[in-house]
Amino acid sequence: MKRECSSISRLLEKYFDQEVTPEERSLVEGHLPDCSACRMALDTMQNLRILIKNPVEEAVEKETFPWVWEKIEKGIQRKERPGLWNFLKSWLDVTPLLKRKILIPAVAAVVIVILITAPLLYKKMSSYPGPSVVEYVESETYNVMVYELETPQVTVIWLFEDPEEESSTS
Amino acid sequence: MRRKTSFFVILILLLSPFFGDVAFAQVQVRVRVMEASNVGSGFDSSLRDLHDQLGSLFSFSSYRLLKDENVSLSSNQPVSLSIPPERSLELTLINQHRVTAEIRVRITRQGRELLTTLVRLAPGRSVSIGGPKRGEGTIITALSRPQ
Repeated sequence: MKRECSSISRLLEKYFDQEVTPEERSLVEGHLPDCSACRMALDTMQNLRILIKNPVEEAVEKETFPWVWEKIEKGIQRKERPGLWNFLKSWLDVTPLLKRKILIPAVAAVVIVILITAPLLYKKMSSYPGPSVVEYVESETYNVMVYELETPQVTVIWLFEDPEEESSTS
Repeated sequence: MRRKTSFFVILILLLSPFFGDVAFAQVQVRVRVMEASNVGSGFDSSLRDLHDQLGSLFSFSSYRLLKDENVSLSSNQPVSLSIPPERSLELTLINQHRVTAEIRVRITRQGRELLTTLVRLAPGRSVSIGGPKRGEGTIITALSRPQ
C-alpha cells in the first residue's frame, strides 16, 4: 500500500456508493490501477454487497406484505362510511353463513315475526284499560258510590237515595 | 332501491293498526238498560257478560233487559236517548287516546241533572250505572264498547 492509500481508503466507501465528487472520483480512479491493496478492498466491498443483496431481494419477492394491504383497506373503509342499509347488506354478504341469496328469506322471516307479534302487541295495548275507568262523578241529587274491580273488570256507579232529596221531590 | 321501498311499505302497513286509533274516529257504544231484582230468577242471554260481572258485586237473582241500543259517538257531538224510568241519557265523546275513549255521561230527568260523570272506555270494557232502588227492582244502565 502506498503512502497516499490512507487518504484514498477513506474515499473508497464513498466511491463504492457513488457518493464522491468528480474530483474525488478522478483521484480514486487514478490511484486504483497502481494499488492492488485498494483494488482488493474495493472487490471485498463488491462481494459483500452481492452476498447481502441477493437473499434480501429473494425474500422481498416472496413477501406479499399482507399487513400493508390490511392497513390500506382499513384506510379505504374509513373514508367510505356506508349507510345503515349498506352496512346491513354488507354484513349479510360477508358473514360466511349468510350469503347474498339469504337476504330475501331474511326479510321474509322478519315480516313473519312482525305479523305474528304485531296482533299480540296490538291486542295487549288495546285491552289496557288505564288506571281508572271513572274520571269523575257529580250528582246533586244522589249519594254516589263507585265500585271498581280489576278481576273481573267491573266498574259500577251506584246511586243511593238521598232521603231529604226524595222527600222534597215527592 | 325497489326492495328497500317495498320493505318500508310493508313495515308501514304492519304498524298502521298502532296509529289508526290515534286519529279521532267514531266510537261505538252499546247501551243496555236492565231491571235487576230478587223477584224470580234468570237473565236475558244478551246480558250474560254483565250478569257475570255484576254477580261479583251484587246478589240480584234476576236481570231483565229493558233496552238495548248501539250508538255511534263523534267528537263533542252529544247523543241523547231516553231510558227508563223517564230519564234521558246523554253521551258525548270528549277525547280519545289510542283505543280508549273518554265519554261524558249525563243522566237527566225532566231537564233536571241527576248525574254527570266522565268515564274512560276501552274496547271490551263496560261501566254500569245503577240505583237507586225503586220498589222491588233497580234500574241499571250499562255502557260498553265492543271488542
